[in-house]
Amino acid sequence: MIVASSKPFPEIKQMLSGFKKVCVLGCGSCVTMCHTGGEKQVTELAAQLRLSAKLEGRQLEVKEDSTLRQCEWEFIDDIKEVIKDCDAVLSIACGVGVQYMAEKFPRIRIFPGVNTTFMGGPVEQGIFWERCAGCGNCILGTTGGLCPVSRCAKSLMNGPCGGSQNGKCEVSQETPCVWHQIYDQLDTQQLLATMERIVPPKDWTTGMENHPRKMVIEHLVMKKQ
Amino acid sequence: MTKTNTCATPDKKTNEEAPCILACPIRQDARDYVQLIARGRFQEAFRLVRERNPLPSACGRICTHPCETKCRRNSTEAPIAIAWLKRFLGDNFSEETRKIIKEKYPERIAVIGTGPAGLAAANDLALLGYSCTIFESNPTPGGMLRMGVPTYRLPRTAIDNDVEYIKKLGVEIKYNTTFGVDITFDSLKKDGFAAVFIGVGLPESRTLNVEGVNLDGVLKGISFLNEVNATGSARIGRNVLVIGGGAVAMDCARTALRLKPDKVSVACLESRKEMPTTDFEIEETVHEGVVLYNSVGPKRILGKNGRVSGLETLRVKYVFDEQKRFSPAFYEGSESVIEADTIILAIGQASNLSFLKGQEGIQVTRGGTIIVNPDTFSTSVHGIYAGGDVVLGRGTMTESMAQGKKTAIAIHNTLRNTALKDEKWAEKPAVPDIVPSRLSLIKKESKQEMPTMPLDERLKTFDEVELGFPLNIAVKEAQRCMNCGAGALVDDNLCVGCLTCVRICPFEVPKIKKGDTTAYIDGDCQSCGLCIVECPAKAISFKTPLEDRGKDALEAVFQEKFVQGVKPFIINFYCQYSAYREEKEGAADDLLFFHFRRIGVLGLGKVDPSLYLRAFELGAHGVLITACKDDTCHFCTEKEWVERRAQYTTQLLNGLGMDTRRFQTHFVSSQNGKEILEIAFRMVEELRNRV
Repeated sequence: MIVASSKPFPEIKQMLSGFKKVCVLGCGSCVTMCHTGGEKQVTELAAQLRLSAKLEGRQLEVKEDSTLRQCEWEFIDDIKEVIKDCDAVLSIACGVGVQYMAEKFPRIRIFPGVNTTFMGGPVEQGIFWERCAGCGNCILGTTGGLCPVSRCAKSLMNGPCGGSQNGKCEVSQETPCVWHQIYDQLDTQQLLATMERIVPPKDWTTGMENHPRKMVIEHLVMKKQ
Repeated sequence: MTKTNTCATPDKKTNEEAPCILACPIRQDARDYVQLIARGRFQEAFRLVRERNPLPSACGRICTHPCETKCRRNSTEAPIAIAWLKRFLGDNFSEETRKIIKEKYPERIAVIGTGPAGLAAANDLALLGYSCTIFESNPTPGGMLRMGVPTYRLPRTAIDNDVEYIKKLGVEIKYNTTFGVDITFDSLKKDGFAAVFIGVGLPESRTLNVEGVNLDGVLKGISFLNEVNATGSARIGRNVLVIGGGAVAMDCARTALRLKPDKVSVACLESRKEMPTTDFEIEETVHEGVVLYNSVGPKRILGKNGRVSGLETLRVKYVFDEQKRFSPAFYEGSESVIEADTIILAIGQASNLSFLKGQEGIQVTRGGTIIVNPDTFSTSVHGIYAGGDVVLGRGTMTESMAQGKKTAIAIHNTLRNTALKDEKWAEKPAVPDIVPSRLSLIKKESKQEMPTMPLDERLKTFDEVELGFPLNIAVKEAQRCMNCGAGALVDDNLCVGCLTCVRICPFEVPKIKKGDTTAYIDGDCQSCGLCIVECPAKAISFKTPLEDRGKDALEAVFQEKFVQGVKPFIINFYCQYSAYREEKEGAADDLLFFHFRRIGVLGLGKVDPSLYLRAFELGAHGVLITACKDDTCHFCTEKEWVERRAQYTTQLLNGLGMDTRRFQTHFVSSQNGKEILEIAFRMVEELRNRV
């Protein structure tokens, strides 16, 4: 899933300063599951905004709504009625959702309420880790199913480096060294010989070096009238 | 939120009903009134009881409470004292008639008998909009409740209070009017009654077909009880023997004890386990000093000079045959004698159908009960209905009330040509037994004992033995209830399958079954509400409408004009599980009344942090959370959650630049008394010059 973290409230307040009527808009998919952009967060953020305005003696009306996925035109179409009289929308969807909203409603100011951070998942309840960097050229088949691109601080293709200490990364003692993990995994699978193979430099042009990237599924593309 | 079209998988049983409710013949909302008591909402609880039960005070005392037999707390330690809690409501609360009878119909209905069946029928018919007249042969109401049940079990004021309410609905009672003598079917028809309900019960005692039954000193159980109940005494000897093993036999024995003979004993066919009454009744009877002879059958009553001298008995081989039919057999040559100078026969009751003379159209059974259509309670004669013991043969108070209530609807449907249904009687699956692996996660809470009159005092009077729950004990008992079938419910249209509920539930209840994409919470939910607060999609809510997690109470506080001028004004969210530890809820102090408003929630784990923000938004200067300490937590794990959320809320308030002294969390052993007062004083002082 796409993981996003809440923006600090002072930043949100700053973005929305001067607006009299705003809508906090949640998204019912990834950001709901990572507890930063769902209905519950909408309620809390709206309450925070109202309280903040009250404490400062400002007039502020805050509407609350949410949609199944903000990254679908059809789903955000339903929002039109809710936000039509708003000065601004605080979208707490990922960056994709915020942009869909901005494109769909060009006359309304759309602000992001979260920082979209990575693709990952809840490794345990409440703890999310990055698992994929979207490099566009997946090598998980050769690394025991563990991704060195997203999980190694240096995105090394031939690890571990000298900074691997007792299974931890020198960058942070909290971070496991993924190359140490890859070694253990390949050992379990009796594939340690793989480690001896030198992997040539990776082609990064399929990744973030080359955005915006595009994907087309030909047979599903409808002819424009 | 835009809804998708997912629908609940068929095995997600969201309509399961609490076994206590399903077990009750009148489908009394047992769980819900218990839950209201647990929340200190006594008046509402009483109202809820009264809505379905015309005789709450009497029922709370003498009901055989099948609800408790089915209570799911049986598998953790002991059932909730559901009946005693009803009695607590009946004894301490009342209200003027408040149900508005919307439509009045012209038809008048005659009800014969003021027993449970007749009173229930009249009560419900009155609520449906009919004028009812009950005809009663005795000078007082209650039927067998008054004639048969001793006052030490059911004080007459309890019956009178219940009947008084029914009269306020407009029901007229004509006493000293015997059906078949003073009035007849013809006279009722002539007087314009559109329907007649016969609820005359079984007023006669069955007699034994053995030698000596006509000797002086042989009494009939019901007549004996009636005499003592009416006059406070009866002529008995020094050595009394009651024959019978049911509730009436126990009543006769305990009543006889209070007339101070030398000895009272009970002889019955059944073994101790087979006796057709509740364990509690038998235990109390033995506890008061009655000698119990089990598994003996009467062969003949012995006499001397025309007066009883004893009972010759035979040992019982078995009482019921292989088909479980009553068919006692005895060991030959096992004769022995129990000496007695008085024998009371309490071996069952019989009807007196003399009023049916001239009404041969009404079909009756060989056993002397009236045959009715099991759905409509109509007899074989149009417009004449019957219910209660005269139909049941031997029923319980609640079974009789159920028949009265069902007949009321049937009469209405016939007269109005409608198909009104009482949805409470609809067939529903019961919440199944607790999954064994969860038993150890549910806190054991011992059942509260009923305070009783000391043994040496109770035998001196006919005063009530059971003294009733005081308020704090009643609440404590009610708080044991697991709220079966009314806990959390996942909305399949909103659930995103994030697994939060599955991972955080302290009772391991939510599951995402194989093939499902949404969570399912079964009837074992303990209603702690943690998942409701943490669900990021707000897909979980309580099924029970009784629980809004503090929201309405908070809004209501700020409707008060008074609070607007108070500084500092503080909202105290507190856990109701640690309230009522002492006699009264809340510390009775002016400071608390002036600066604080208290919002009790059954477990603070179900309160949203956004509600704390809402309190500030509405104008509170401070929010004080007083939660239970770890060792007293009903749900075992809430302290940790309250702490985490306090931290989280503090962060939110920090983000607003708010003085965090305005939001405080404390863990206390009781919600009343010194500890709370000190915390409250401190907080007021801290905030006094800051708001």
